[in-house]
Amino acid sequence: MKNTAMGIDVLLVEDSLGDVRLTQEAFRAANSEIRLHVVMDGVEALGFLAQKGAYSDAPRPDLILLDLNLPKMNGREVLKHIRSDDGLKSIPTVILTTSDSAIDINQSYTLHANSYLSKPVHLDKFESVVRSINDFWFEKAQLPQAG
Amino acid sequence: MTNAITKRRPAAADSNQQMIQSEAKYRGLLEAAPDAMVVVDEEGSIVLVNVQAEKQFGYPRDELIGRKVTDIIPSGFAERLVADELRSPEEALAQQIGAGIELTAMRKSGAKFPIEIMLSPFEGVDGILVTAAIRDISRRKAAEADLIELNRSNEELSQFAYIASHDLQEPLRMISSYTQLLAQRYAGKLDADADEFIAFAVDGAERMQRLIQDLLAYSRVGTKGMTVTLISSQKSLDLALANLGSAIADSGARITSDELPPVRADEMQLVQLFQNLIGNAIKYRSAKAPEVHVSAIQRRGKWQFAVKDNGLGIEAQYFERIFGMFQRLHTRREFSGTGIGLAICRKIVERNGGEISVTSEINQGSTFRFSLGAAT
Repeated sequence: MKNTAMGIDVLLVEDSLGDVRLTQEAFRAANSEIRLHVVMDGVEALGFLAQKGAYSDAPRPDLILLDLNLPKMNGREVLKHIRSDDGLKSIPTVILTTSDSAIDINQSYTLHANSYLSKPVHLDKFESVVRSINDFWFEKAQLPQAG
Repeated sequence: MTNAITKRRPAAADSNQQMIQSEAKYRGLLEAAPDAMVVVDEEGSIVLVNVQAEKQFGYPRDELIGRKVTDIIPSGFAERLVADELRSPEEALAQQIGAGIELTAMRKSGAKFPIEIMLSPFEGVDGILVTAAIRDISRRKAAEADLIELNRSNEELSQFAYIASHDLQEPLRMISSYTQLLAQRYAGKLDADADEFIAFAVDGAERMQRLIQDLLAYSRVGTKGMTVTLISSQKSLDLALANLGSAIADSGARITSDELPPVRADEMQLVQLFQNLIGNAIKYRSAKAPEVHVSAIQRRGKWQFAVKDNGLGIEAQYFERIFGMFQRLHTRREFSGTGIGLAICRKIVERNGGEISVTSEINQGSTFRFSLGAAT
């Protein structure tokens, strides 16, 4: 289990402000230890993960939540980059998107996403999904250790 | 009995007479044919026509005889007859026999029109003649074009419904989620009016969401590819019943069926069809526990299924209307639902080449009948 004394860093890659806020509220309610970092396109996501320039103080996230429909560089491409970078490939990356199409799902798993979640339409179901993310990744699963 | 000795004519004259007689018979048949008949020689000149040809091409026959066939059929015909280095006249002809060829013809006025021609050879005294039966297919072509246009427009509408529903979901999710968040966080903290306003907004957003999802489901029946195979309709029914598990348990419904046949259809669509019909039978039940019976008979080369229930029934004046999109016979307070279920049923049935209808009596129950799949 993650050492929660250090806090938990989650990178949310999401271009809809409305969805960002909803996700923030849901995470706040699920687990107040979680620090949710937000970037709004794929290029910013890679910049954050590279921890350079404007992001030189950015933490290495314990989990990446990745939307598929992003401007400039879509979620699939971000995922490809993450999985081909030796320094980043071990970070658990979960697709969190509106699409429930079989093509999107299959492609994401083929590109080695850890799992795929469709954003439910109802708020309470969405909050339940976020609680599940917290429950699985931060209370049950073992995460890769630094060093 | 008199021994009549028929005067025997000289042999040549005799066969000439036969020739003349058979030619006369041939001309008679040609003249009476319902299609335009044009006989063409090896050089592509017209040697014989009938009255239909005069009418179709707008020339009196003396203007047609001797004319090159390319004057009335600019291309596609004369070339096929011509022997070239590669083919003998017989071979060139043999390639066209039996095939109905679509070409463009030209009337005397210069007006062009589509035709279908069928060729047959005729061994004449002076060489091979080709008889072309020519049919003006202007009307058929127009109908084909209409059908293509209709299909294209249906396809566009389906795609539009899909895209509209799909893109509408996103902003609707925002409205829905944030009104629910408002309700969650501020219920009881603002005044009673605010609570009521929020409740209406939440309800409206939820209803719109269901409408859009139903519209998507409806458009998917039209756009998603179908896999038509020989399937067990019994299995489809069982799958539908499995999906309706809790509705069946909650209502105490009893579903029975005759032995159902294998049919040619898209399995997922048939499951959905059964699910919608039986779901309705359970939903629109009377005070009695719902009983539903599914049967199938062969009718006009297809399987006709019947789903019979003992529920509320439907008034005759609504038999057609209920299959329309978003058509309901009850208020939202009496029964939930958007009224798309039967529209989806009809679309599925029609896509599988069948028809759907209902007979019913108020308080006695309803029987929905649909046909699909060729009876094997």
